[in-house]
Amino acid sequence: MTSDPSSSSLSPDTTPAALPFWSGLKLKVQQFLKRELLPLLGDLRLAIALLLAIALFSISGTVIEQGQATAFYQANYPEDPALFGFLTWKLLLWVGLDHVYRTWWFLALLILFGASLTTCTFTRQFPALKAARKWSFYEQPRQFQKLALSAELEQGSLDALVPLLKQKRYKVFQEGDKLYARKGIVGRIGPIFVHAAMLITLVGSIYGAMTGFFAQEMVPSGETFQIQNIFDAGPWAASQIPKDWSVKVNRFWIDYTDEGSIDQFYSDLSVLDQTGKEVDRQTIHVNKPLRHKGVTLYQADWSIAAVRVRFNNSPILELPMSQLNTGSQGRFWGTWLPTKPDLSEGVSLLAKDLQGTLFVYDTQGKLISTLRSGMSAEVNGVNLSIQELVGSTGLQIKADPGIPLVYLGFGLIMAGVVMSYVSHSQIWALQTADQGFWVGGRTNRAQVMFEREMIGILDQLDESNGDRNSQAPEPQK
Amino acid sequence: MNLVELQGWLDNASFAVLLVTMLVYWVGAAFPRVPLLATAASTGMAIANLGIATLLVARWIEGGYFPLSNLYESLFFIAWGVTAVHFIAENMSRSNLVGVVTAPVAMGITAFAALSLPDTMQVSEPLVPALKSNWLMMHVSVMLLSYAALMVGAVLAIAFLVVTRGQEVELKGSSVGTGAFRDARYRLRKAGVEQTNGQAQTGEPVAAGLVLESASLDSNGNGATAVLTAPTAAVTDKAAPLTPQRLSLADNLDNISYRIIGLGFPLLTIGIIAGAVWANEAWGSYWSWDPKETWALITWLVFAAYLHARMTRGWQGRRPAILAASGFLVVWVCYLGVNLLGKGLHSYGWFF
Repeated sequence: MTSDPSSSSLSPDTTPAALPFWSGLKLKVQQFLKRELLPLLGDLRLAIALLLAIALFSISGTVIEQGQATAFYQANYPEDPALFGFLTWKLLLWVGLDHVYRTWWFLALLILFGASLTTCTFTRQFPALKAARKWSFYEQPRQFQKLALSAELEQGSLDALVPLLKQKRYKVFQEGDKLYARKGIVGRIGPIFVHAAMLITLVGSIYGAMTGFFAQEMVPSGETFQIQNIFDAGPWAASQIPKDWSVKVNRFWIDYTDEGSIDQFYSDLSVLDQTGKEVDRQTIHVNKPLRHKGVTLYQADWSIAAVRVRFNNSPILELPMSQLNTGSQGRFWGTWLPTKPDLSEGVSLLAKDLQGTLFVYDTQGKLISTLRSGMSAEVNGVNLSIQELVGSTGLQIKADPGIPLVYLGFGLIMAGVVMSYVSHSQIWALQTADQGFWVGGRTNRAQVMFEREMIGILDQLDESNGDRNSQAPEPQK
Repeated sequence: MNLVELQGWLDNASFAVLLVTMLVYWVGAAFPRVPLLATAASTGMAIANLGIATLLVARWIEGGYFPLSNLYESLFFIAWGVTAVHFIAENMSRSNLVGVVTAPVAMGITAFAALSLPDTMQVSEPLVPALKSNWLMMHVSVMLLSYAALMVGAVLAIAFLVVTRGQEVELKGSSVGTGAFRDARYRLRKAGVEQTNGQAQTGEPVAAGLVLESASLDSNGNGATAVLTAPTAAVTDKAAPLTPQRLSLADNLDNISYRIIGLGFPLLTIGIIAGAVWANEAWGSYWSWDPKETWALITWLVFAAYLHARMTRGWQGRRPAILAASGFLVVWVCYLGVNLLGKGLHSYGWFF
C-alpha cells in the first residue's frame, strides 16, 4: 500500500563532485529527508495503514492472554498440535505476544504513527488552513462553473443576498460587485487541534512512563507503612518515591447492603511526616483516592489479616489468617487454633468476608460451630470467644508526573474532534452588468445540508424578485 | 401498575412497535408513492423512541441510579440511541431509506434484550462499588450513544454500497472537501430557464435536459448517449444559464453516513477519554490495555482510518464505505464480543 522504502535510497547523480565529502553527505541527507522521507511520512495511505496496523496488533493482545507465566503459554499453546498450524508458545514468546503493548515493534509503530502525525500537521494541515484563510473573490463567471452548487440568476442582486447570508450566520466580505461569505472555519482548525493534542498526549504518556511508578501494599488495620512494594517504575522515577512520609491505616472496613453484597470499601488513612505527626487524614473508598505530594493512594483490594480471640479468661490473642488456595472458587481465609498447650489438638477457623462470620472445623474437617464477633462457643473443652476480624486494605499507589500533559492533550483532543464536525462553507457571488448575477458555493463536509441551504438561498433570491418559478430542479430520485 | 410491570410491558411493546415499523419502512421503500407509509413509519419510530425512554426512566426511578449497569439496560439505551440518531439522519437526508436500514438494527437490539436475555439478567440490581461514581453516567452514556451513532453510520454505508453496487462513485464530503466540484459530465450548461418554466407549469418540476443526463449517469453512460445528444444539442445555445448540480440518492446516503459517523466519532473520543480520566481518578491508571479499552481504541482507529480514507486520492469510491461497513462489526465486538472474554471491570456478564 505504501511506497517501497527501498526506493528511497540516495541516488548518486545528485551529488556535486566538487563538494567535500561531509557537506555532500549533509546535502544528501537533507535531500533524502525532503524528497523521500517527508512525503512518505506525510502520505495519508501510510497514516491509514498505521491506524489499521495498530488496530490489528491491538486485537492480538485482547485474544492472547497477556502477562502470564511461561508455563501458562506452554500449556495453552503447545508445539504439537500448534494453534492454526504455527502459533506455538515458543513463537508467541519470541514475538512478544505475551506482552504486545510493550514490545519494541508495537512501540515502534506508535512512534512511527507520531512521526506521521507530526508530518501531516506541517505538510498538509497548516497549508490547508492557510489556503482556507486566504480566500479570494471570484472575478470571472467561468470560475463559478467548476462549483457543483452554482447558478446564474436572471434576477437577484448582492443586496438581496447579503441579508440571507447573514441570517444563516455567514461572515460576509464584499467589494463592489464581488462577494465572498464563509462560516465554520473552525472545522479547518479542529483536525490540527486533534493531531497536536494527540502528540501532547503521547509525549505526556512517555514522560509519565519514564518518571512515574506503581506500587501495591496490603496493610492490616492499625499499621503504618512506607511505600516499598514497587512493581513498576520508570528509569527516572526515584525522586517520585516518597521517603519522608508514611501512611497509617487507622481502620479498614466494608459496608454491606441488606442483601449481604458489598456496598463499599473504606480505608481511614493518616499521612504521617518523619516525626510521626499527622499531616493529613482522609477516608478513601473506591472512586475516591487520597493524594499527597504527587502520589495517589487508591482503594483497590482487601483481605483478612488476622482474627482476635480469647480462650476462657486469657488475654486477647491475635492470630494471622492467610488466604486459602481455592482455585478461584471464591476467597477464603483460614487459620489453625491450638486448643492444647502441646498443640496436639486444635480447630481450624475459616472466614469468607469481614461481616464477622467464622466457621469452626475440627481436625476431622467437621463443622463444629459458626461464630460471629462477640460470640463464644465451647470447643474441645475450652471456651473460645471471637473478639473481631482484622481486615487489611489493599492499596494501589502511583505517581505519574505526565498526567498534566496527558490531561491537556485529552482536553484539546475533545475540543478538536468537536470542532472537526463543523463543515467549512464558502459562498461566492458576482454581479456583472452584462453577464448576469452568479452565485456559487461549496462546503467540505456537510454536502447534503449545504446543498439544502444553497438551494434555499437561490430560491429565496428568486422569490424576493417576485418570480415563483424555482430554477433549481428537484433532486434526482 | 407498578414500575417493574410497566418495564416488562414496555420492553415487549417497543420490540413489537419496532418490528411493525421496520416492515412499514420496507413496504414504504417498495412503494415510494404512498406518502402515508412514510408518515406511519416515522411515527412508529417515534413511539418506539418514547417507549424505550419511558422504560429507562422507570428503571432510573426503580433502581435509584442512571440505568446503565447491566447488559439489559445498556441494550435498551443503545436501542434508544439508534432511534434517536435515526431521526437525525432522516431529518438530514429527508430520505425514507434511512429507516429501511436503521429500523432492523433497533428492532434486533430490542428483540435480543426483551426476548433472548434470561429474566435473571433483566432485573435491576445494585451497583458494584467500582461503578458508584458520577463518572458512570458521563462515560457509559457517551460511549453507548457513540456506538449507536457509529452503527447507524455504518448501516447507512452498507445501504450506500447496495445502492451503488457495480458503479463508479465519487464521494461527497471529507475534511478536505471532496465532491464539492462539478462533475465533468455536468460541465455542459443545463436546460434553459424557458424550458424549466414550461415544465413547471405542466406540473413536472424536473428540467428535461437534467432527466436525460441523470439517466445517463445512472446507467454509467451505457446506451443513454444516443438519447443525450438531442437535448444537449438543443440547449448548447448561449441562452442556457448555469444551474446547480444536485446530489443523487447515492450521494445523499454517502454524505449522511459520513456525517453520522462524524457525529459518532467525537462522541467515541469523548467517551474513551472520560473513561480514561475516570480510571485515573478512581483506580490508578488512565490506560491499562484492558480488553474493552483496547477494543474501544480499535473501533476509534478503524473509524479514524475511514475518515482519513475519504480524503485520500487513491481511496475514492466504495472502499471507505466498505471500511465503515466493517466498522459495524467492530462496534459489536467492542460492545458485546469483549464480554465473551469475561474479564475486567467492563464485563456485563454472559449467559452461555
